[in-house]
Amino acid sequence: MRWVKQTYDWLEHRLQLEGPVKDAALHPVPRNTASWWYVFGSAAFTLLFLQIATGILLAIVYVPSAGQAWNSLNILNHQLELGWFLRAMHGWGSNFMVAIVLIHMAQVFMFGAYKFPRELTWILGVFLLLMTLGMAFTGQVLRFDQDAYWGLGIGASIMSRVPVIGGSLVHLLLGGPTIAGATLSRFFALHVFVIPGAMLVFAGLHVWMVLKLGVNEWPMPGRIVKRATYEKEYHDLSHKDGVPFVPVALWKDAVFSGAVIAAVAICAFVFGPYGPGGQPDPTIIQTVPKPDFFFLWIYAALAYLPPALETPFILIVPVIGIAVLLALPFYASEGEKSWHRRPVAVLTLVSVAVGWGVLTHLATYTPWSPHMDAWSSDPVPGKNLHNATPLVREGAVVFQGKQCRNCHSIGGAGGERGPALDAVATRLTRDQLIFKVEFGGGNMPAYGKNLSPPEVEALVSFLETLHPEHEAPATDPSRKEVQDAAAMAGAAPATGAPSGAK
Amino acid sequence: MRLPLIVAAACALVFSVSGCTRAPGYPTEEALRPQDQLDFHVLYSQNCSGCHGAKGQNGAAIDLANPEYQALVDDATMKKWIIGGMPGTEMSAFGASAGGMLTDTQINALVAGMRKEWSKPDVFGGQTPPQYAQDKAGDAAHGHAVYMTACASCHQQAKQQITDANYLALVSDQALRSIVIAGRPDIGHPDWRNDVPGKPLSAQDVTDVVTYLDSLRSQAEAK
Repeated sequence: MRWVKQTYDWLEHRLQLEGPVKDAALHPVPRNTASWWYVFGSAAFTLLFLQIATGILLAIVYVPSAGQAWNSLNILNHQLELGWFLRAMHGWGSNFMVAIVLIHMAQVFMFGAYKFPRELTWILGVFLLLMTLGMAFTGQVLRFDQDAYWGLGIGASIMSRVPVIGGSLVHLLLGGPTIAGATLSRFFALHVFVIPGAMLVFAGLHVWMVLKLGVNEWPMPGRIVKRATYEKEYHDLSHKDGVPFVPVALWKDAVFSGAVIAAVAICAFVFGPYGPGGQPDPTIIQTVPKPDFFFLWIYAALAYLPPALETPFILIVPVIGIAVLLALPFYASEGEKSWHRRPVAVLTLVSVAVGWGVLTHLATYTPWSPHMDAWSSDPVPGKNLHNATPLVREGAVVFQGKQCRNCHSIGGAGGERGPALDAVATRLTRDQLIFKVEFGGGNMPAYGKNLSPPEVEALVSFLETLHPEHEAPATDPSRKEVQDAAAMAGAAPATGAPSGAK
Repeated sequence: MRLPLIVAAACALVFSVSGCTRAPGYPTEEALRPQDQLDFHVLYSQNCSGCHGAKGQNGAAIDLANPEYQALVDDATMKKWIIGGMPGTEMSAFGASAGGMLTDTQINALVAGMRKEWSKPDVFGGQTPPQYAQDKAGDAAHGHAVYMTACASCHQQAKQQITDANYLALVSDQALRSIVIAGRPDIGHPDWRNDVPGKPLSAQDVTDVVTYLDSLRSQAEAK
């Protein structure tokens, strides 16, 4: 084994890395930072390398050309041994990376770790978050299927709304006026060279600063950060009550990173790769494109905004959001770090998380979009046709044929744009149903001109049967009074007048 | 140190024994272009089940799974209705040539699939049913008499009213004729042999009863 030592000495004599590495590994950190709360940053770093490794392997097979990208993904999925698993690792690795980066950011925010002297670490982190999201988006585009194609179209139309230079930006993004061959090459270059290169530099500096400035100490209520005294206090803390970074803190990082990689592998094995979905061909209109999970919230926010607010929202909110994130360490570079004394920070984080969660949840089932094939594919539930009269059956056919089902569900199937109609007869009387069908109201278009009178009659007869068994349909009391009066008027002559009179 | 090794070995074993194509995450077949989809079950569930029911029965519109109906309608006619829709009914046009989404090949696949799934040999038991399409004029007065003996016992009940003008406005004579001949077993409507048990309706009876129902339409319009 002497030759190993000799080789090592030969290299060390020239590289002289031993000293700096030892310094970095053994530098003392405050004892309570060796906590399970401090493992997310290193996990994100590990995932970055997983993505690079799997990405290089994918790049060997992937063809970044509009005509062949989709086919090369299918070759990976079906013709190459474990090609599907490689794609799945890269796809799930991306999901985990975005999630871990967001958790890391939330944790850093909660622990006040962005305060003096770690402002620049935070700022680089903000850019790393943006680059992670940029990787997620460009990666979605490289999975060149219908979702990618239309997602790109939406990205381009967002760009085109920038005043004055919008058109040029779109040209720059797509490599021309339309999504074509040059577009995919451009996104390939972004996804494989430009963004990962920048990410490595930024992540390197980010870690360098963590090593140089020290791991943020566990925040204690009342331990106030002051520019003048902080660095001395931190030095004392880490040296008087410190532990060496390796191995006391690092083993938790290593265990967590290993667990995350295992989780990625399990998800890849169980859930498989993402797509590719249908071919990226704009002539195929039978498609319901959706962005990937982490952009669903934008999809929902844009769907719910009134049209007049779309452009301001798209162009101003991201700028404000990023500016706020960048300004945060300067605005709050001193003061309390503990979340016990920072109610505004806690509320902000909770509001953002809840808002994000709600929008994402909404976007997973898109209640604003009609189900365009519900009319021909979702059968009318058997219980709604059991013992139905011929007219009611025809009404159900009208209900399907005129595509009411695309916006209104029955029995849990159908669109969610309008209200579910399982109990509509308990809400609307016959006259109200007719009025609603004929004239619409709210979001509902008027169908009077598209339906013949018999069709309306049949449709309303069907709708009148839609009520739970134990709940009577809505009735108009005045109708009953009129009927009673008519019955009284009819009954009176029958008893009072001679039976022959008519 | 033992445990991780055992876990890794177990995973490797599961992987190699189950084969990577049987992993739960193994991707499904590559996505077809919509017009290349020729699987009957997929085509049927996307385009037909909304009205005709999930398995060709218990839907709002006629039950395609009725073997008598399948025997009654020839391929060319079935294709004609699918491509261009059925005039006088809510059946829409599905053929690309008529503005729909289905190619000729897909419609052939639908018809062939229905035959394969729902046709039965010798479903009429040697008897010849009345022709699918009406070939000569009918007599409404005789049709009324047939209606009273063969249909009224059920159809005069309020729940089964078919003489309602609104109902008649939404079905064509051909649709009525198909039901009279082939019945709708899924909702208990008998075929032409069993309207009056043991006494099948003649071809003329069927034509006349449809003519009678049609005459109710013109009466309603006159009103």
